[in-house]
Amino acid sequence: MSFARPRVFVGIQPHFAALSRSSALRTPVVARRLLSGSSCSHAEHSPNSHDPLVSGLSARSHHRADPPIEYDSKGNEVNPYSAGPSALDKAVHLFFFTEIIRGMWIVMENFFRPPYTIMYPFEKGPLSPRFRGEHALRRYPSGEERCIACKLCEAICPAQAITIESEARLDGSRKTTKYDIDMTKCIYCGFCQEACPVDAIVETQNQEFSVETREELLYNKEKLLANGDKAEAEIAANLHSDHVYR
Amino acid sequence: MLSTEVDKSTLGLADPAAFCKDFVRKHDYVSYLVSHFYPKHLQNGYFAIKAFSVELATVQDHVSNTMIGKLRMQFWRDAVKGISDGKPPRHPIALALYEASQRSHLPAYHLKRVIDARDAELYTPTHLTVDSLTSHAESTSSTVLYLLLSLLSDSSTAISHAASHLGAAQTFSTLLRGLPFHAKNGRMVIPAEITAKHGVNQEEVFRQGPAVQGIEDAVFEFATIANDHMITARDMFKEEGMEGKVPARVMPVFLSGVPVANYLERLEKVNFNAFEPKLQLRDWKLAWLIWRGFHKRQF
Repeated sequence: MSFARPRVFVGIQPHFAALSRSSALRTPVVARRLLSGSSCSHAEHSPNSHDPLVSGLSARSHHRADPPIEYDSKGNEVNPYSAGPSALDKAVHLFFFTEIIRGMWIVMENFFRPPYTIMYPFEKGPLSPRFRGEHALRRYPSGEERCIACKLCEAICPAQAITIESEARLDGSRKTTKYDIDMTKCIYCGFCQEACPVDAIVETQNQEFSVETREELLYNKEKLLANGDKAEAEIAANLHSDHVYR
Repeated sequence: MLSTEVDKSTLGLADPAAFCKDFVRKHDYVSYLVSHFYPKHLQNGYFAIKAFSVELATVQDHVSNTMIGKLRMQFWRDAVKGISDGKPPRHPIALALYEASQRSHLPAYHLKRVIDARDAELYTPTHLTVDSLTSHAESTSSTVLYLLLSLLSDSSTAISHAASHLGAAQTFSTLLRGLPFHAKNGRMVIPAEITAKHGVNQEEVFRQGPAVQGIEDAVFEFATIANDHMITARDMFKEEGMEGKVPARVMPVFLSGVPVANYLERLEKVNFNAFEPKLQLRDWKLAWLIWRGFHKRQF
């Protein structure tokens, strides 16, 4: 960028110089402006023309007249552009220049706008009710565990992150004695939540559960139930948010 | 009658009926309104059956692939088997169904039929013909109505026949009401037979909604079929000396026809534009209409 800037003007100068040098070149340009500016340019014929049916179409053409061909002392053709920058160079400089202007314009626009940044730990962005974060085990409002140790979540888990051991109780119900989730294996697909017939295992909105050791990421039942107790209101609201009865 | 505040702290396995009541109130408020007209001792059974139907109906919105949906359906098949064996799983709805089946005879094949129909729906959420959708409706809504009739210990043929037509109308109107939601998720609930007849481009409906040409005609035809079922159901009660009045005993079951008729009327008022936001709201007069229907014994 820094080396391109001084050369921008170098690139444009010969362009203007070429325009001002030949008055023969200027005349058709001016003539075209006059013709197009006049209201009835199509009806009028050129008064200088010998044939009244021929209009001055040649004067309205977009093409610049070719520069006179120059010859050196031996009679060979000389390329008039050989000394200056190439057409590609000139185009590149012109477009780079406008690019810089446009970039600066965007900078100026955003200078006057409120910032997009949110102050993360204090401000948080919105999350979908279907966001899948840290796991939790839920209880019924009466305080009983929902989980009935059916092991459907263990069966469906594609990463095999869930381990369940269960036992039958005296009243005939089954309860888990062990419900472990290896959070280092979990891929947060949400299948466990979808498979659970009693809505016991859910993924909460919490995504900030970083720890210092690997062992802390091996969650047991107590940790999961504690998560559920902490976020129950939010979980219930999210589960209810987008279902339709059919 | 509308003493509705539920004590949240007791909801759970200890009191499955209260759990079902709360569940129905949250997911299907209209059925909750109707519940007040059932005899007091049968209300728990009513909530159990309705909660069972709601639970199965929402499975397909819970799951992201059919495999997981099948897992849950299998859970419910096992649950129904457990209920008839006297060993229900520790799921509040299953426990409530078990309690209800102790009081009155709830045939297990009706429960199974609902599960099978919802299972099949996981694979084919859309229907090609009106006939296939009608048979689906008979296996879901109508079967729930049969269950409610057996809860009231009534199984006369004429009344079951009326219930089957009412069930079809109920499913159709529920689907029409859900049309904006389903279209958003890329499902066309109106059978392809009807949409094709009116030249509706289904993909356009998903993208543009009500602006698509022909959709109102398709909705009109679909709603007309639903209304025909309603009329047929009403006509059943004009025979056999019932004089157009539903017998008082089974009236609560047929009260679920009141919201259907109400929805179809409102749909007509907005010129069959099923995407009208007003239609998504419950009519505020519904409670009154149900009360009046109960006392006039008509739906």
